[in-house]
Amino acid sequence: MRTVLIIDDEDDIREVAALSLEATVNWNISTAHSGAHGIEAASKNPPEAILMDVMMPGMDGPTTFRELQKNPRTAGIPVILLTAKVQGVDQRRFAGLGVAGVLFKPFDPLTLARQISEVLGW
Amino acid sequence: MSDHFILGFLASCVAVSVPLSIALVRANSRARKLQHQLETASATQLEHDSRRTQIDSVKDEFISTVSHELRTPLTSIHGALGLLSAGLMGKVDDKSQNLLRIAASNTDRLIRLINDILDLERMKSGRDPLQIRRTSLSELAHQAIDSMSSIADSAKVRLELVPSAPPEAVFFNGDPDRLLQVLTNLLSNAIKFSNPGGTVEVHTGANLDAVLLRVSDAGRGIPLDKLESIFDRFQQVETADARKKGGTGLGLAICRTIIDQHSGTIWAESNPQHQRGPGASFLVSLPRVSRSHDVADAAAATTPPARSGSVILCDDDPGVRTVIAENLRRHGYSVFEAGSGEEAIEHARKGNAEAILLDLYMPGLTGWETLKQLKQSPATSGIPVVILSVLSATEVSPGHLQATSAAQGWVRKPFNDHLLLAELSRVLHSGEGKPRVLLVDDDIDLASRVISRLADANIHIDHATTRQDAIDQCLKAPPDLLVLDLTLPDGDGFSFVAWLRQQSTLCTMPIVVYSGRDVHHHEDNTLPPNPEQFLIKAPVRPREVEELVLNTVRRMRNPGSPIPGLN
Repeated sequence: MRTVLIIDDEDDIREVAALSLEATVNWNISTAHSGAHGIEAASKNPPEAILMDVMMPGMDGPTTFRELQKNPRTAGIPVILLTAKVQGVDQRRFAGLGVAGVLFKPFDPLTLARQISEVLGW
Repeated sequence: MSDHFILGFLASCVAVSVPLSIALVRANSRARKLQHQLETASATQLEHDSRRTQIDSVKDEFISTVSHELRTPLTSIHGALGLLSAGLMGKVDDKSQNLLRIAASNTDRLIRLINDILDLERMKSGRDPLQIRRTSLSELAHQAIDSMSSIADSAKVRLELVPSAPPEAVFFNGDPDRLLQVLTNLLSNAIKFSNPGGTVEVHTGANLDAVLLRVSDAGRGIPLDKLESIFDRFQQVETADARKKGGTGLGLAICRTIIDQHSGTIWAESNPQHQRGPGASFLVSLPRVSRSHDVADAAAATTPPARSGSVILCDDDPGVRTVIAENLRRHGYSVFEAGSGEEAIEHARKGNAEAILLDLYMPGLTGWETLKQLKQSPATSGIPVVILSVLSATEVSPGHLQATSAAQGWVRKPFNDHLLLAELSRVLHSGEGKPRVLLVDDDIDLASRVISRLADANIHIDHATTRQDAIDQCLKAPPDLLVLDLTLPDGDGFSFVAWLRQQSTLCTMPIVVYSGRDVHHHEDNTLPPNPEQFLIKAPVRPREVEELVLNTVRRMRNPGSPIPGLN
C-alpha cells in the first residue's frame, strides 16, 4: 500500500484530499497541518511521497521543501506541490524549485490519485 | 444521508463568498486610491513610472490573492461534492443525488468562471506577456484537434483538418500556448453547437504576410446582429446558452484578447449557404511576425526615419528580386539587382553597396561560392552579407558551415517585410563586424570602467542607464548582446527581460545578467528565462563583467565552444 503525507494548513482540504486518496485507491494517508509538523512527520516515518500546499503560514511550501532536501532522511522523498496559484510567474517559480510536480487546486477528487501516480511514475 | 446535510453544505458554499467579497472590495479600493494618486500627481516622469510599477504590483498581488482565496474554499467544496456524488462515501438516495449533481455542476461552472475572469484580467494587465516563438501552423491545428477529440467523440461530432496549402511549410511568430487556447476554445464552441453526426472543420492557410485559421460548424449559426457582440464579455447568442451549454460567456472575449495581443484579427461569420444547417465560422488572421499593440506603437514612435542605404540584392529568380527590391526602395534603400553571384561580386567591387542580400541556391556561382569570394577579396570582405534562404542557419550541411558562418545575417524564406528590414538594419548598424553590446546599468562608474575595458577588445559598446532607455535603444538598433544589471531605477531587469522575450525581433538576443544582490533565494521565480550567463556577486567587479562579455561573444562567434564556468 502506498504511503503519502499530505501537508496543508486548511483542515477541510486535508480531509477531502485524504478521503479522496483513501476512497479511490486505498493509499495509506497521514497528514500534517504545517511545514514544521510535516518535516517532523516525514523524518520520523518517511512516506513514499509528499503532497504539499504552497501558501502556509509560518513555513511555506517552497521553504519546507528546501528543509526536507537538507535532511538526508527526507531528501529522497518526491514532493508534489498542490497550489491554488495559477499565474504564469508562480508556475515558473515552482518549476524551478526541483519538486517532482505541481498540481492545481481545485483538484478533482476522483482523479487526484491518478494525477499523483502519473507525476511519480507509479 | 439527509437533505438537511446537503442543504447545510450548500449554504456554507454561499457563505464563503461573503468575507471574500469584503477582501475584494478592500483590495479594489486600495488600487483605486493609488490610481487616483497617480492621476492627480503633477509628478516627474520618474515618479510616474514608479507609481505605475506600484499599481502594477498591487494589481498583481490582487489577482494572485483573489485566485488563491477563491480557489481554496472551492477546493474543499468541489472535492467533497465529487466524493459524495460519486457514491464513494456511501449510497445516496435519488433526491439527494439530484441535489448533489446540481451543486457539483454549478461548482464546476463557478471554477471555470473564476479561471476565465482571472485569465482575462491577467492578459489585459500585460503582466503575463506572450512568449513569442517560431510556431508551426499545422502542429498548432493538430494539437488543438487532438486535445478536443475526446470531447468531440462524446458529442458524436467529427473534427476534420482541411489544409489549403502544404501546411508543413508554414511557420510564424506567435505564442503557441495562447493560440492553442484560442483554437481549443473555438473548437469547443463549434462542438457544443453542432448536432450529433455533424462535422467541425479546421481550415488552415497562409500568404506572405499572414496565417489564416477557420473553424466552421454546421450548427444553428449566428444572427447577423450578434456576429460582433458575441466577442464582448458575458454576451452570448441566447441568454440561456451559459446555463445550457456550460459556457462562461468569456471564452470569445479571451480569444479576442489573445489575438489582439498578436496584432491579429478574429471575427465570426454565419454560413447561410451551408447545406446541413446555417452553421457558423470563426476566422483568425495572424501576422507572420507578430508583436503586441503597445510595443508596435512604441516601435513606430521610436523607429528612426527610413535611411537611404545601398544594397545589392542577389537572387536568380527575377520575380523574387522585383518584390524584395520594391519593398526595399519603399523604405529608402537604393537597390542594385544581381541575377547571379558573378554580377553581385562585380557590383560589390565597384563599391556599390553597404550590404548584400544573397540567395544560396543559384545556377552558376552558388551563394556559398559567392560568399567565399566576397570574403576573400579585401575590396569586398568588409561588406556585410545577409543570406536569404529556404534553409535556416541551423540546417546548413557541415560542408557549407564554414562558408556561411562568414555571413553577418540570415533571413529564412518565406519571410515578410518586417523581418528582412529588421535583419538588414541590424547588420548595417553593427559597424565593421565589431559585435555591438548594450550595457544596461545605472551605476555610471562601473559602466564607464567596463566600457573602457571592452573598447580595447574591439567591441562596440553602447550604454543605457534606465529600463526605458534600454527599450528605446533596442528598438532603434538591436545589439548583438545585452549585458544587464538587474537593479534599475525605473523597474527591475526582470520585467525588461520579459519585455524583450515577447519581441519577435529581439526574443532570441543573448543576454548576460548580473546582480550585486543575492537573487537565487528570494527571486528564483522571476529569473529571466535562459540568460546566456548569470553572475551574482557583491560587489560586481568590472573585470568579471568584461570576462563574462568576452566569453559570451566568443561563444556567439563559435556556437560549438563550451560554456565557460562561472562562480
